[in-house]
Amino acid sequence: MGLPELEQNRPCNSAGLGNYLWNDPPKEYKWADCVHCGLCLEACPTYEQLGQEQHSPRGRVHLIKSVAEGKLQVNEAFADPVFQCLDCRACTTACPASVDVGGLIEEARGQVRQAMPLSGWKAMASKFLLETLFPHHERLEAAGGLLKFYQKSGLQKVVRKTGLINIMPDHLIEMESIMPEVKTSVRKKYKDINVIKAKEKTKRQVAMLTGCIMDVMFSDVNQATINVLTRNGNDVLIPKNQTCCGALHVHAGDREMGRKLAKQNIEAFESSEKVIVNAAGCGCMLKEYPELFHEEPEWYERAQEFSAKVEDIAKYLYDTGYEIPKAELKTRITYHDACHLAHGQGIREEPRDLLLHIPGVEMVSMPNADRCCGSAGVYNLTHPEMASAVLESKMTHIPEDVEMISMGNPGCMLQMAVGVQKYGRNQRVVHTIQLLDWAYQKEEVQGGKNHGTK
Amino acid sequence: MARNKLDTNDPHILHLAKLVSGPNAILYKQEDLLAYDCDGFTIERHLPRAVVFPNNTEEVAKIVKFCSENKLPFLARGAGTGLSGGAVPLNNEIIISLVRMKRLLEVDFENRRAVVEPGYVNLKLTNSIADKGYYYAPDPSSQYACTIGGNVAENAGGAHCLKYGVTTNHILGLEVVLPNGDVMEISPNGIADFPGYDLLGLLTGSEGTLGIVTKITVRILKNPEAKQTVLAYFDRVQDGSQAVSNIISAGIVPAALEMMDKVAIEGVEAAAFPVGHPKDIAAVLLIEVDGIAAGIDEQIQLILDVCKKSHVREVKVAEDEAERARWWANRKTGFGAMGAISPDYLVQDGVIPRSKLPEVLERIHKISEESGLRIANIFHAGDGNLHPLVLFDSRVPGDTEKAIRAGSACLKACADAGGSITGEHGVGIEKKEEMRFVFNDDEIKAQTDIRDVFNPDRLLNAGKLFPTPSRCAEMKQELKRPEHAK
Repeated sequence: MGLPELEQNRPCNSAGLGNYLWNDPPKEYKWADCVHCGLCLEACPTYEQLGQEQHSPRGRVHLIKSVAEGKLQVNEAFADPVFQCLDCRACTTACPASVDVGGLIEEARGQVRQAMPLSGWKAMASKFLLETLFPHHERLEAAGGLLKFYQKSGLQKVVRKTGLINIMPDHLIEMESIMPEVKTSVRKKYKDINVIKAKEKTKRQVAMLTGCIMDVMFSDVNQATINVLTRNGNDVLIPKNQTCCGALHVHAGDREMGRKLAKQNIEAFESSEKVIVNAAGCGCMLKEYPELFHEEPEWYERAQEFSAKVEDIAKYLYDTGYEIPKAELKTRITYHDACHLAHGQGIREEPRDLLLHIPGVEMVSMPNADRCCGSAGVYNLTHPEMASAVLESKMTHIPEDVEMISMGNPGCMLQMAVGVQKYGRNQRVVHTIQLLDWAYQKEEVQGGKNHGTK
Repeated sequence: MARNKLDTNDPHILHLAKLVSGPNAILYKQEDLLAYDCDGFTIERHLPRAVVFPNNTEEVAKIVKFCSENKLPFLARGAGTGLSGGAVPLNNEIIISLVRMKRLLEVDFENRRAVVEPGYVNLKLTNSIADKGYYYAPDPSSQYACTIGGNVAENAGGAHCLKYGVTTNHILGLEVVLPNGDVMEISPNGIADFPGYDLLGLLTGSEGTLGIVTKITVRILKNPEAKQTVLAYFDRVQDGSQAVSNIISAGIVPAALEMMDKVAIEGVEAAAFPVGHPKDIAAVLLIEVDGIAAGIDEQIQLILDVCKKSHVREVKVAEDEAERARWWANRKTGFGAMGAISPDYLVQDGVIPRSKLPEVLERIHKISEESGLRIANIFHAGDGNLHPLVLFDSRVPGDTEKAIRAGSACLKACADAGGSITGEHGVGIEKKEEMRFVFNDDEIKAQTDIRDVFNPDRLLNAGKLFPTPSRCAEMKQELKRPEHAK
């Protein structure tokens, strides 16, 4: 790939910026804050692995700026560092001037994808996943159904036993072995119910984003989220027309599809006052919807109104208060900061606080807890080698003597489960909200009634 | 992840690639080299010929020998956080990146020393020995990312160098690859005061012009038993400066004594780590004392009294470690924070006698007015090390040149006040002409003669540290340099 593609795909706007020839280029005000000090270098997982500056945040910003200055073309040499980025945002946390490197990377990917559309099997796989599957809940359900069939029918056992698995690429084998057992999605379960009522008196009403992967692969986390919300006086709505948040599309440079999905969600949640999300990647995307509409002022405004309503479940509970469970869980855990929660949304203390208030939970701190695990949306599928190097480095920081690793993002949960399996560890990977739900359930079984609130 | 296949016929590149192991160990395509066209000093940008990533001393030696034999200019680079352009390839150099040599080779608590490779990051050393109660003292503000190899080259300082000294005071031994490819050990085993000339002192701060350091033995210190930090706000810069002088005269040697002026405060408060400094104050002082626990409270009381006598508006002691960490993060990210209020900045690095602080700050203020550019001041007030940050916008035609002139004028002010043109950032490209403010031609010649003993062909990091020759004799010598080395 390279220049020929560039020529085939003529620019669709005349107001380009240097060698950015398409709509919605990386924004100058975002890179203008970078003074090239280099304090981001050590925060970057790909720089840690490769030690090369084009694979560091300031190097990438430098390249993005160089295209605007006409020194570099949007070609493969530019695409490589731009797509090698995990979009983990750790650099923005480290940056003294809070340069939005993630935003620049996503905009640059948008240019790359327009200049050099994917071809061959990559295009087919990407189109299938991003356009045919994720935005369509019913199809994802069907795929989930297939996975369920695969797991339940004994086919999984057959595949594993017969060695059929040996012909799968390594990273897919690792993935296959940790696929959570698929249960019924909450969207299916509650499809005929308008409002899931609070268990006791209603204090607030919230709408919930069920997510695409989350609801099929981790429907139990969605169920736990509903349980915890209703337990704490929230009526929960699951708007019917909601769709995939579009994060995977935007990360992959398909901003057009990202905008389409964003508009659908903005409309679907128009009448909601609060949008609760339990997946860090989705929450961060929803909060960043305005970034997609710099060239559509009307939608920019609507996106801003929408974003202000979005809240992560842990932060929401922390801010509005919740009942402290009475039952003891008696477990030692550690907490992993999902990048899009810690770096993307600045949510670090709230989930920890929530966990620490569950009786009997002992928290062992994880060094470098906010270091990326290598999941990064579909990064572990597109860049398996780097993803597993990043995972290996992450696993060395997970304390040995804990029973569970808690976190707030489904992508991390899958990746960490791969890590636990691959490195022969025995921790259970859980979502923060599940622990709280289990404590409530235990309390109900024990028949205890608790009056403590937070 | 790895792209090992080379797509070039350049015999030098093909040969260099064979000298280094590991994945993707050489960059030579223009697009890949762009990220190496400057370091933390962004005003001069030049592309290198290639970047190689050796894994050990032998590989460095082989690369250097090859460059030397083929008369290829070369230089060493660490994290590229330097602020004077020391790692900028002025002559299309082969960059020898030392970032893959990042191992902590040995920690010897009994003898209080550690051995590191040059690509090892400064702060990592402290982090990896902190659980045993030890730390590495030199703490440049870039310590999150800068490498100890780079610290040796620049003789880096930091906020706590007032009491503990700069890098050179903490280097016990070095392994160096000389510009001809020979490997030399200075002060083997890190024995202090090895007899003979002080080569450690000569190499430390030589800005990568005498050799490439491949192994470093450093001193590690036991954590002080106690530590307290004070923040003091002043309505007038003169009062802040007076307080600095008075604290030192009172016989206290603070571990750190830092100052920021109004423009600097605006920057750090607009950036990622604000602490809520009042917007209308003229200066803030950050003062830290450490040592054995007994006596710390008396020192703090003395500092509070001095501040009050110097018309402080408000003064407070950090309540806990978290507050202290917030104050330091605010200060240490001060340079990068300028990005929040200006698209570009140029940081200067002058040293003056403490007593001249108010006078020099007044002159810097005038330079700012005359140039029409804002100048923020962040500095290690305790040792008189000023960092005027000239704020400019490189997109505005003529602004960059104005900033360079203003920066130079600040250094002139420091030199005129009996000071020097660099405290810790090095001369590099940035201040080489300003060397004339403090040295005459003979003094400069004496130093280039020393350089030529190590680096006779001037292939290693040429064009740095000393001004472009002005005298006939040196011009003649310059002409003898190989053509492509220029």
